[in-house]
Amino acid sequence: MLVFLLAPFAALVFATDWHDFHFAPGDLGAIRVSLLYSGLALMLVVLAGTPLAWWLAHCHYRGKWLVDALLLLPLLTPPLAMGILLSSFYGPYAPVGGLFRQAGLYLTNTAPAFVLAQIYGAMPYYVLAARAAFEGVSEELEQISRTLGRNRWQTFWLVTLPLARLGLTAGVALAWVRAMGEFGIVLIVAYFPQGIPVKLWVNLQDIGLSAVYPLLWVFFLVALPLPLWLGLRSRRQGMF
Amino acid sequence: MDIRYQLEKPVMLDVQMQVRDFTVLLGLSGEGKTVLLKAIAGLIPARGHPFAGLAAERRPIGYLPQGYALFPHLRAWENVAFPLPRGAGRRAQAMNLLTRVGLADLAERYPAALSGGQRQRVALARALARRPELLLLDEPTSALDMATRDEILDELIREVHDFGVPVLAVSHDPHLAMLADHMAVLLDGRVVQEGPPREVFARPATMRVARLLGFRNFLTGRVAEIERSGMVVAGADWRLRAGLQHGMHPGMAVTVAIRSEDIVPGEALGGAAPNVLNLKVAALREEGVALRVRMEGALCLDMLLPRMQCAGRSLVVGTELWVQVAPEHVHVMAE
Repeated sequence: MLVFLLAPFAALVFATDWHDFHFAPGDLGAIRVSLLYSGLALMLVVLAGTPLAWWLAHCHYRGKWLVDALLLLPLLTPPLAMGILLSSFYGPYAPVGGLFRQAGLYLTNTAPAFVLAQIYGAMPYYVLAARAAFEGVSEELEQISRTLGRNRWQTFWLVTLPLARLGLTAGVALAWVRAMGEFGIVLIVAYFPQGIPVKLWVNLQDIGLSAVYPLLWVFFLVALPLPLWLGLRSRRQGMF
Repeated sequence: MDIRYQLEKPVMLDVQMQVRDFTVLLGLSGEGKTVLLKAIAGLIPARGHPFAGLAAERRPIGYLPQGYALFPHLRAWENVAFPLPRGAGRRAQAMNLLTRVGLADLAERYPAALSGGQRQRVALARALARRPELLLLDEPTSALDMATRDEILDELIREVHDFGVPVLAVSHDPHLAMLADHMAVLLDGRVVQEGPPREVFARPATMRVARLLGFRNFLTGRVAEIERSGMVVAGADWRLRAGLQHGMHPGMAVTVAIRSEDIVPGEALGGAAPNVLNLKVAALREEGVALRVRMEGALCLDMLLPRMQCAGRSLVVGTELWVQVAPEHVHVMAE
């Protein structure tokens, strides 16, 4: 099964023209855009998604199943359709997008639009992973922390976060990969500035397959180290 | 320390009792013992005193749940240091507490590498690090194996006495209650009896309390006679002498409770001794090195025969047996 999964990547080794390995015009800019804005999107996803995931894991109320179902909507929606929905909502002629435009913030074909698209692509994955991680932390340990003089905030930092670390790290890695690789939503909402996935598409259309492989190699080189490093680090620290 | 706590959810409880040194609250599973401890600790909303109205983190209590709930990501000393304020002496204080519970050598170990007894002592040291005014123990014997239970319990009680903190332990284990300085019995959400274990075990207030405390024989009858030194209780075909108890009068309907261990073979005593009964063995069951004998006749009794009294005796179903129970071991309760 592992061979089946990895076989197409092996083909990449043979398909690449190593004697004429060069970037197409604009590739370096796309790499910079992807790294910079994916980092920013990831930061926002973690900052907003962590409290939401904690709340979903800890709060019990009637109708919670409905919130759970609604959270799955962005995951279920095809990326292209999601992009169209975002354009309909944040576009310059949409009611909400119009308000942003009046404030000077354009949410199509701009850097903020690019980050917004990545957030919509990555956030649901992070929230689901983080929520599962928080649910895995024993409530009794959090209660014991309270009886030992620590308030809720201190308990979160000293008990919940360290014990949920493995799951949260997986969530961060997943969100990073999703943000970096997001194509469908970005294509509709933020064709410009072009990140790696859109630039791969443009290279394929304008130049051909030979212009895709160098950028694809770079994509793997810049997208994979963070999840690998996070995974190794958390597993090493998790050996208690 | 007087404790009064009332709550409606998740179980109805109205508990009023005293905590003196090492106190055990005895109750069946599902009575709400853990709920009570959590209410006192501030983890469940409840009315009562002391500490009501304070957030959990501000209550001066130490709480040891079942299984001890040590933080798995922290070493033993870090667990003990958890409630201590950050500062230069934090580790030294934690090590001092670990030394007092005899675990300084294991300070660097994670909880997963400690035995049940060691975890309990680390959790005890951690709970005591805040200098609590009251220590709450939830089923302290539940996570211990039988081989080491008594030894660890002895150590635990000695340690909490050394620290001088009043302890409220909840348990369904009468054996733990026997070791306490003070005990109370929880039934239907209320404390129905409390006092020194010697008194409570000897004089349970009701049949349900007696059952909880290990009594196996219950007979219904009436008070037949009251004398200066004792009284006589009688059923349809039997009469038993009992110690004098207050509040009894002839004709009063009563329940008699007798411990299986208090019934002894009585062939040698002859007819002059009180409460000598001739019964027939109805069933036999080995219980470790002892023998449980079910007897029928004028009344039905359950006797636990220790190993030393089984020697030389060939008991089979149908054997006639003379047995005796001392009047002071016949406990009479008003119905």
